[in-house]
Amino acid sequence: MPPKRKAAPASSGASKAGRTSAMSTPGPATPRSLDSSMMSDAEDDLNDPEVTEVQRQREQELGQEADEFVNGWDLAKSHLQTRPEGWSGDAATAYFGGRRDFSFLPLKPDHPNRPIWIDPNKGVIVLERFNPLSEQATDFLITVAEPKSRPTFLHEYALTTHSLYAAVSVGLDPKDIINTLDRFSKTPLPATIRKFINKCTHSYGKVKLVLQNNKYFVESVDAEMLETLLKDPIIGPLRVHSSEGITTSYAPTMGGLVIPGTKNAAGIRQAELDKASGKPVAPGAEAGNEADLYATLNDEDDDDDKTAVHSFEINDNAVEIVQKRCLELGYPILEEYDFRNDDVNANLEIDLRPNTQIRPYQEKSLSKMFGNGRAKSGIIVLPCGAGKTLVGITAACTIKKGIIVLCTSSMSVVQWRQEFLKWSNVNPDDVAIFTAESKNKFSGNTGVIVTTYSMVTNNRERSHESKKMMDFLKGREWGLMLLDEVHVVPAEVFRRVISSIKSHSKLGLTATLLREDDKISHLNFLIGPKLYEANWMELSQQGHIAKVQCAEVWCPMPTEFYDEYLRANSRMKRTLYAMNPRKFQACQYLINYHESRGDKIIVFSDELYSLKQYALKLNKVYIYGGTGQAERMQVLENFQHNPDVNTLFLSKIGDTSLDLPEATVLIQISSHFGSRRQEAQRLGRILRAKRRNDEGFNAFFYSLVSKDTQEMYYSSKRQAFLVDQGYAFKVITQLANIEKTPDLAFATAKERRELLQRTLVDNEKGGEDDVETDDLFGKPGGGRGRKKGGFGGGGVRRTAGTLGELSGGHDMAYIEQNKAANKTLKKKAKEVGQNAFFKKIAREKERNRK
Amino acid sequence: MSVQSYQLSDYLEKLPGTTFRKLYQQPSTALAIFRRMLPHLAKVFVQGMLYMPWPLPLSDLDKWVNPDGKMARDRALMTLRSLHIITITPPGKDKPQEISLTTNFKKSLRSAFEGSGDHLSFGLPSTRPIDPSINITFLDRYARKKWEDILHYVVNSVGGETSSSRLAAAGPKASVKDLLIAGRLVERRSDTKTGIAITQAGFTFLLQEANAQVWTLLLLWLEAVDRSSASNTTGLDSVDMLSFLFMLGSLDLGRAYDTEALTESRRNMLPSLVDFGLIYIPRDTRQYFPTRLATTLTSSASALRSVSSGFAAATHNNSADVTSIGTPEASNSKGSIVIETNYRLYAYTSSPLQIAVLALFATLHMRFPGMVSGRLTRDSIRRAISYGITADQIISYLAAHAHEQMVRTAAALGRPVLPPTVVDQIRLWQLENERMSTQAGFLFKDFDSVEEYTALSSYAEEIGVLEWKSDKKGLFFVSKYEQIRDYLKSRKSAK
Repeated sequence: MPPKRKAAPASSGASKAGRTSAMSTPGPATPRSLDSSMMSDAEDDLNDPEVTEVQRQREQELGQEADEFVNGWDLAKSHLQTRPEGWSGDAATAYFGGRRDFSFLPLKPDHPNRPIWIDPNKGVIVLERFNPLSEQATDFLITVAEPKSRPTFLHEYALTTHSLYAAVSVGLDPKDIINTLDRFSKTPLPATIRKFINKCTHSYGKVKLVLQNNKYFVESVDAEMLETLLKDPIIGPLRVHSSEGITTSYAPTMGGLVIPGTKNAAGIRQAELDKASGKPVAPGAEAGNEADLYATLNDEDDDDDKTAVHSFEINDNAVEIVQKRCLELGYPILEEYDFRNDDVNANLEIDLRPNTQIRPYQEKSLSKMFGNGRAKSGIIVLPCGAGKTLVGITAACTIKKGIIVLCTSSMSVVQWRQEFLKWSNVNPDDVAIFTAESKNKFSGNTGVIVTTYSMVTNNRERSHESKKMMDFLKGREWGLMLLDEVHVVPAEVFRRVISSIKSHSKLGLTATLLREDDKISHLNFLIGPKLYEANWMELSQQGHIAKVQCAEVWCPMPTEFYDEYLRANSRMKRTLYAMNPRKFQACQYLINYHESRGDKIIVFSDELYSLKQYALKLNKVYIYGGTGQAERMQVLENFQHNPDVNTLFLSKIGDTSLDLPEATVLIQISSHFGSRRQEAQRLGRILRAKRRNDEGFNAFFYSLVSKDTQEMYYSSKRQAFLVDQGYAFKVITQLANIEKTPDLAFATAKERRELLQRTLVDNEKGGEDDVETDDLFGKPGGGRGRKKGGFGGGGVRRTAGTLGELSGGHDMAYIEQNKAANKTLKKKAKEVGQNAFFKKIAREKERNRK
Repeated sequence: MSVQSYQLSDYLEKLPGTTFRKLYQQPSTALAIFRRMLPHLAKVFVQGMLYMPWPLPLSDLDKWVNPDGKMARDRALMTLRSLHIITITPPGKDKPQEISLTTNFKKSLRSAFEGSGDHLSFGLPSTRPIDPSINITFLDRYARKKWEDILHYVVNSVGGETSSSRLAAAGPKASVKDLLIAGRLVERRSDTKTGIAITQAGFTFLLQEANAQVWTLLLLWLEAVDRSSASNTTGLDSVDMLSFLFMLGSLDLGRAYDTEALTESRRNMLPSLVDFGLIYIPRDTRQYFPTRLATTLTSSASALRSVSSGFAAATHNNSADVTSIGTPEASNSKGSIVIETNYRLYAYTSSPLQIAVLALFATLHMRFPGMVSGRLTRDSIRRAISYGITADQIISYLAAHAHEQMVRTAAALGRPVLPPTVVDQIRLWQLENERMSTQAGFLFKDFDSVEEYTALSSYAEEIGVLEWKSDKKGLFFVSKYEQIRDYLKSRKSAK
């Protein structure tokens, strides 16, 4: 997919518009246009007055540069494969618009043994999975191309500038890329593709910025390129003059670096153990880090297979200028961190626990990051539940310097800290948390800090304490910056984070590198290339993530609802299709069915009104943005351990980084338009199901849609990503025996009418602004500050009506007031011993006392 | 296979006994019917009775079959009777039922087997010198081109962008086009670029084996002749034509035959047969060459495959042809399509015709040598449905042409060959278009007074014919009108 020419002015325009609206402090009723809320991913809170105009300008420039750079290399635009003279196609050529018919390409004589076709114009690669060579080809393609479609038999990949950039940055040689592609291809590699690869790789990854012994070096294998840079009027003078010209050394290799948790690591540990116990050690095993490193740098005896690298030193404060200039020249700088040689920043005592073994794909992804013994910056894409956190922690254990972890919510901050303590032997005092609630520093001179994006980027209304904390963060050099769920964070936030906090390497983690607004390409420049992307289906077949049955349940709208639906405005439309009583019944039916099977169920609703209505009516617990931290924790605890609480209703705050391995069923009743990312993230909630390795176990994902509404359209859009990963959505038009459900809600026409009336009345005046943010870039204080408005809480209203209405003669008089199940939980918690779980706890306490 | 022989048998069954008697005068016809139309057991019966001097008691026939093969026996007898090959005497009290071959059939089949007589029923090979360039490969290519032109015409009736000039130059003759339109394989429509559009029958036609397609077209031709012979304009006799077709089926591929030996009316058929690609007539010679399409007309099922494989071989030899570079399996239309759960479709083919068929219901993306990629979308399926192609037809096409890999994987996992979600979705896309149901009926409007409207509409409601009414507009719609008309009359006369 070639990046669209989405001009920077457009994005700057958007942020400008956002700023003005922030100044006029919009109330909850500010109408949002459908389009903008569809496209923008919560980017509107970036308007903080304290950010200086200069910084903002710099941020904008960065974006613009990235855009320009990306657009400079568009395969489709630059050249098209020309057809051979005299070739005019045949009768079927017309079906391919003339330009997509490549049947003139000659086939190689042994083409059945080769697994791929390559589209000469767009770089689309079709791979036969049933070909004997497909395993090797897959491994190779995942490195050089972007996976587009990975179902059962034929996969599609696309060669893009980014994917090639990533390939080069992990150390692949353009010549090798071309040769390997040619080897796998059924047709001789088209000249256009050859040219494209050469053109991209010519500039990519050639120049590296290396921090070595705390001095910055510009490094390249190509001495001429450095000469060019030195002659440049801007870069030239920035060279540190004490160093004479270009120095030549040898390219680093993986050397003695061992990623902890791998088999290799186990071997080394064994060797060390042997040494400690005084046994004779084989000479090869003694290759410790130091020794090997030394060899790499200075040993010139066995340098036959080593490539020479050339470098010159630049001033610390000139780094940014050089970076910018190189981008302008078309040689984007790759950042590498030679952490083993960094003795200025203190080492952190951290290692994986001895019993921790990382999975093969995690190892593969990390080996891309530490491929040459240095840490590269980049993004690793793994499905939810496939152990992203462990990858991050292993990376931290490899680098062993100061680590800063940025995540999306305060909930996941807590989880990250727990994971650090669980998997590594780091001193608990060295893992600090920086959130609105707690602002710790680590005890030693270095350590791990876990915080949220919003804490770091929000400069407004900062308390004295957090200001001090920020200064602390800004004043240090960090070894590794771990960026959790990078896909949700607007590029602007990254720019701010990256420009304010100095770190030597950055690792982005995500499950879905997807954005509806096409800003993903920016991440490639702000963080680094995508280093690895796992195949969902493969992981699920290997049992690393759960197998999931996906279904789309079609719920017809009752006539009276549809009538209203046709007349309603777009916001009301959403409420109506979420409140469709048939959908409600389907939801009730599915909950009953799965609870009776012993499943734990999460129900997702983006629409707050319906979330509460459903939860209240069905008497289930729920969490949304307005739920306080303590209550959240309590509800989650109960969901996990209390056998009586099997169903949890969640708003979209639960989309990401909520770790609930108990959940096995997911029902979605309303969602964020056509967001493919949300669909994938939600699916991720059940992928880590604890019971996934049970024989014949299946997790279930239901998406309930109201028939004949916009939901149908969005739903197919949303599924696009998962479907391309090989998931199949079965359409269910009729749930068997739904009418036999005990206490089926809204079974009579009268009840349905009442529901409609109530829905209309409750939402009449615009209701609360239920476009909830992801708890991410919300106003300071999270969702708690946004309780105004909403149903039941509204002010006085003047309506026309008859006396009959007041006296209760109409349907509207009676409103059912269901008690929130959350409240009962609280009560229960107080009355210890009421149910088995708490009894058990009480008993244990009792025993401990004795 | 089964589909097309039913078609021919349907046609034959409609013919009266006298026609059969006439048909069976030709040994070639008798042989063709024997080879093509009879189930195996029936063939055994016929062979057994062929040289029997007298009728066989029906009870004796039971000894020929296994006790549990009674159903097969009955079916064989039924087929034989409907084709007027045997006669069975009616059951009588004193005499047991007897079975015998009809005279003409017996005589002709005997002479076909023996090669006796001078009937020229199997054609007269030409004695003139033969152009050496006309070999089997040449004939195969010729026939394939002719036939594909016809199929392309049917398919391309929807293929929007195909340049019409190319089509007009290469397309079939006007007479063939008329035949296709008369047979409702395509219909004239103003909303397509070519002015015609494929119909449901046309799509069924496309999905058939080549041999079945030939028969479908020939039968359309016979029927058209039948219709016009009522007005006595063509001078062609459908019985003689059928006889001639059966004869063609018994000729040798690659051999030249003499046109002089044919009757006048049969010579008149030759131009049409050239149009269909069944025969090839070199310029200025009195020779005709039957093509593979003709010589396989009466072959049994196993021989049918030789049509496509013969064609495959023909195109494969021709390396100058762009479409021929494909893999052997690509030129064979069997087992080439992969359909994925994400609705992507990949077809291992380089045949423009198959691509055109795919384009009927899929959006095509890219074409490589020997492979085409595309996607089933809601729009593409809806478009196909708007041409009258049904979801089931598409599904059965996909299933029939499923790639060997899909079949193997499905068998290994015990799952259906096509992904169930895709099958469901294709059906659902069709259902989307079938929400509206129509009912024929009568609209009553422009009443003299409100009273009249009320009286009539309530009467209609009482007798249960009222479908819809609007009190506001004074309109109502009924399924039957006779009683209301009478009621209205009596009401008027009462006034």
